[in-house]
Amino acid sequence: MKLLDMTLKYGNATHDYPFSPYAVPEGFRGKPEYEYDLCIGCTACAVACPSNAMNVELNEAKDKLVWEFDCGRCIYCGRCDEVCPTGAIRLGQNFETAVRFNKEDLIETGELELEHCLKCNKAFTTKKLIAYCVQNFLKVGWTQEVIDEKTKYIQTCPECKKHDAAGLITDYKGARR
Amino acid sequence: MSKTYIVPSDINELNTLEDKLQLLKDIKRSFSVYRIDCGSCNGCEIEIFASITPMWDPERFGFKLVANPRHADILLCTGPLTRHMYYPLLRAYEAAPDPKIVIAYGACGCTGGIFHDSYSTWGGIDKVIPVDVWLPGCPPSPATTIFGLATAIGVLEQNLKRVDHKDGGVKPPVIEESFFGNTLFERDIVSKTKVLMGYLHGRILYKKYVDAVKKSTDIYNPVKVKYELIEAIKNESDPRYKECMQIIHNDVYLKHLKTYKSIDDTNPALSFTKEEMDEIYG
Ligand code: SF4
Ligand code: SF4
Ligand code: SF4
Repeated sequence: MKLLDMTLKYGNATHDYPFSPYAVPEGFRGKPEYEYDLCIGCTACAVACPSNAMNVELNEAKDKLVWEFDCGRCIYCGRCDEVCPTGAIRLGQNFETAVRFNKEDLIETGELELEHCLKCNKAFTTKKLIAYCVQNFLKVGWTQEVIDEKTKYIQTCPECKKHDAAGLITDYKGARR
Repeated sequence: MSKTYIVPSDINELNTLEDKLQLLKDIKRSFSVYRIDCGSCNGCEIEIFASITPMWDPERFGFKLVANPRHADILLCTGPLTRHMYYPLLRAYEAAPDPKIVIAYGACGCTGGIFHDSYSTWGGIDKVIPVDVWLPGCPPSPATTIFGLATAIGVLEQNLKRVDHKDGGVKPPVIEESFFGNTLFERDIVSKTKVLMGYLHGRILYKKYVDAVKKSTDIYNPVKVKYELIEAIKNESDPRYKECMQIIHNDVYLKHLKTYKSIDDTNPALSFTKEEMDEIYG
């Protein structure tokens, strides 16, 4: 009888989930949610991800850059959220991530258009990334000359920059300002 | 490591998809789970035991942990499958009655997780034995565990689907106009807030700081901006935000202001002094 009284006093502690929705606590780190329209393919998330759950690679035909996320490997650390410059990736509240019979359902991908190097015409980054940077240049308050030089500089692939370092310094003085 | 285990044909024959669905129908709401630790870091174990507490009470829908694989309907495998746990896993797998459901538990069980490229692991349970349910998370929270078990027995439907985004075009997201006339200012505040308070609280700090600065009638006047910040700091209850707002003002705002006009940033009317910073902590 005493035990029953105690039980009544403290009430029912069991969560009703899964028969009714469960509200996660504030600051809960759920599945990273990807906003395709905001992603510029800068690969910051792929570099930051400690478990390689996020990858940004060329596709097989080598004509698109593919962002790929494997939820099965994610450890919910939030580093991708921290580094993403556009907010394309944010840790959400979704905790219902289990899948049955088909592992492919854990995967999410996004294709992005490629940009080619001004000098060697090799694909090295995405069109969106370049356009994003150019848009940013316009809002810093530089002169048109500096902006033009910087735009040319970012449209050159890292290899060309390395091999032709001396030429570039003379070509794009503005990039060093 | 390459695949060396081939599921024996007698086990294979008894474990077709139809058999498994029939098993799920037969066991309905009473299933026994045997937990195999394949080299997990123990985070997953702790969460499994957290989810069988009265808080979550999975016995409501028949979940019961058993101590022997011969009693089990479901094998719950945690960990990235280390080399040493290879044979124990196979023994448990073969000992469990057919048909059996295998759940790969945690990021490690699904794909190897954070240990996926380690020399001593196989990188996931499904590299060796056939897996039916993948339950990601590192570790999966009790809610995720309950969801995964409910999905495994068919009480709930999975709600993830493979998504492939295509043809997004080349238009980048629009960058907001800088209120300071220079987006580098915002960029520096964002990076400073992240350094000071991390990405989650840093975002809140950013908002608090920018709101305070925007209130000022002339954002290029450091005395007025400092006044607004002092007001905001008075209304703020968390000392971490108070201190960080002062640091941003000294380190970022005054630095950027110098590109517009020459100021003396040691002048106590413009910047926060050490005494003012110490005051926060009383
Ligand atoms: S960091 Fe953000 S913008 Fe960059 S590739 Fe990842 S999701 Fe896209
Ligand atoms: S939360 Fe961590 S592990 Fe998951 S995708 Fe982001 S960086 Fe990778
Ligand atoms: S998934 Fe995470 S918590 Fe679970 S065993 Fe692996 S590292 Fe540990």
